[in-house]
Amino acid sequence: MARRRSSVRRAGGGRRIPAGVLLGIVLAIGAVVLIGTQAGRTPQTEAVMQTGDDGAAAAGRVATGPARAGEGFFDRLFGGWNSAARIEELEAQNRELQAWRDLAERLAERNRRYEALLRMPPDTFGEGADIENSIAAQLVLDSGGPFMRTLVANAGELHGVKVGYIAVNENGLVGRVVSVGQHSSRVLMLDDYNSRIPVMGESSRVRAVLAGQATRRPELSLYPYQLQAPRMDFIVGAQSLREGERVITSGDGGLYPRGISVGVAQRERDGTWRVSLAASQQPIDFVRIIPFIPVDPPEDTADPNATPPLGSSSSVAVIGRETMAPPPTAPSATPTQRPPAQRQQRTAQNEPATPPQPQQEAPPPAEPPPATPPQ
Amino acid sequence: MNAFSARAPSRGVLRAWGLALAVLSVILPALPLGPLFSQPPLPLAVLWAAYGWAAEDESGWRAPVTLAVLGLVHDQLAGGPYGLFAAIYLSAYLVGRVLAVLMSAPNLVSLWGGFIGTALFTIGVAYVLARLGLGRNVSVLPYAEAAIITAIIFPLVRPLYMSNSPSLRPGARR
Repeated sequence: MARRRSSVRRAGGGRRIPAGVLLGIVLAIGAVVLIGTQAGRTPQTEAVMQTGDDGAAAAGRVATGPARAGEGFFDRLFGGWNSAARIEELEAQNRELQAWRDLAERLAERNRRYEALLRMPPDTFGEGADIENSIAAQLVLDSGGPFMRTLVANAGELHGVKVGYIAVNENGLVGRVVSVGQHSSRVLMLDDYNSRIPVMGESSRVRAVLAGQATRRPELSLYPYQLQAPRMDFIVGAQSLREGERVITSGDGGLYPRGISVGVAQRERDGTWRVSLAASQQPIDFVRIIPFIPVDPPEDTADPNATPPLGSSSSVAVIGRETMAPPPTAPSATPTQRPPAQRQQRTAQNEPATPPQPQQEAPPPAEPPPATPPQ
Repeated sequence: MNAFSARAPSRGVLRAWGLALAVLSVILPALPLGPLFSQPPLPLAVLWAAYGWAAEDESGWRAPVTLAVLGLVHDQLAGGPYGLFAAIYLSAYLVGRVLAVLMSAPNLVSLWGGFIGTALFTIGVAYVLARLGLGRNVSVLPYAEAAIITAIIFPLVRPLYMSNSPSLRPGARR
């Protein structure tokens, strides 16, 4: 009887479609509609996903609490066995690091003097990253699925996190905030298939785009901004890239500050370059979410009264203006051979129309030389 | 009667354990508990549940609704879009009913073959729906690995989801 009640008789036939199957079909169609409408990822439905993230983050904190507490307990318990050896090891490391710090300070001071001599503009490494206002957060949820690589951190809008902030850990870049709830934020990791970030080799300066693959280490595409273009076009640049070279963010595109450690370049057997992510050297637990304000793009038209970037007193700027050729003017007609007198007259007529030539920085008006040079 | 003899757990207990395993397989990969619980080595136990419930002729509303809810939870933890895992699990339930009828002999090879067919079918569904929901660049390979691992382990967990008895299976030879 119950079986009969739970079944639906198809009109005109003797076979019955069980109610469970009918419900399954309806729910499956509804699920496909949800996928088609991108439910949870559009601005209209994103709030539902963010609220769900907040709830899941709270549950994740509770669920992982005992495991984290247990880890800390066992670390403390077993860490006491070899504490003396560990202290000696750390002291040796400390002595070595002090020597490195002295060397680094000397080199930095020397570098500063060189830059002052050359009048170099300040380095843009890390420009735009507001380190002082960074927000520390703990990872409470992983993506939990085979398709995407995201993580949820327990700091959200109430903590000052906004979409576009970057997430780093103690080893390097982790990703970028793509969604923010009240108490949590979702970070798109570098190995997600959606992740594309401009990077460069630290010493070779070879530029590339790091394309996440979600299953393997991120692939290094050596053709900037055209991920599916033939990579042979940049093979010259690729030859400069070295195995084991540090890869850092290049800052191109304005999504990430320049100079953040991403990983180490490694060449595969098939010739493609990949990056072993620095952030994944150890399990990601705490992340630092850093506000990032990209560098403003240059104005469309330069202010004529603005001083040159290097300063008017810069010798480089002066030499550049003195040696700069006048801008070319379009010829009004085909040049013909004219007598010298006519040529001079025509030149005199056209003189007002020609653009003013760059004036040399004239010395002060000549004065009659003194009888004796001043000492 | 021997005092030390242990009674076999009832069907209801086994089914409860099966449901718990399915829920854990959704939640555990999302918790940052280390590489042990990260995908793709962890099997998709919801596929076992979907096939088992379909093969056991769960004609009521509970099986599809439970699968849809588990799928939506999985979508939420994975960051969306909603409906992707729900559709995969429901498709496993629907195709599982068909394959359970086709391979209704009460032996393990037949049941295993039906589940392998179901798992392979969900890979195709995942390929189509993931491209629809996440774009053309998405790779279905991690899901395929997880589904294949799930299919390999199936004989070990089969008692949690279905019995060898053909009495409840739709269209079974009785």
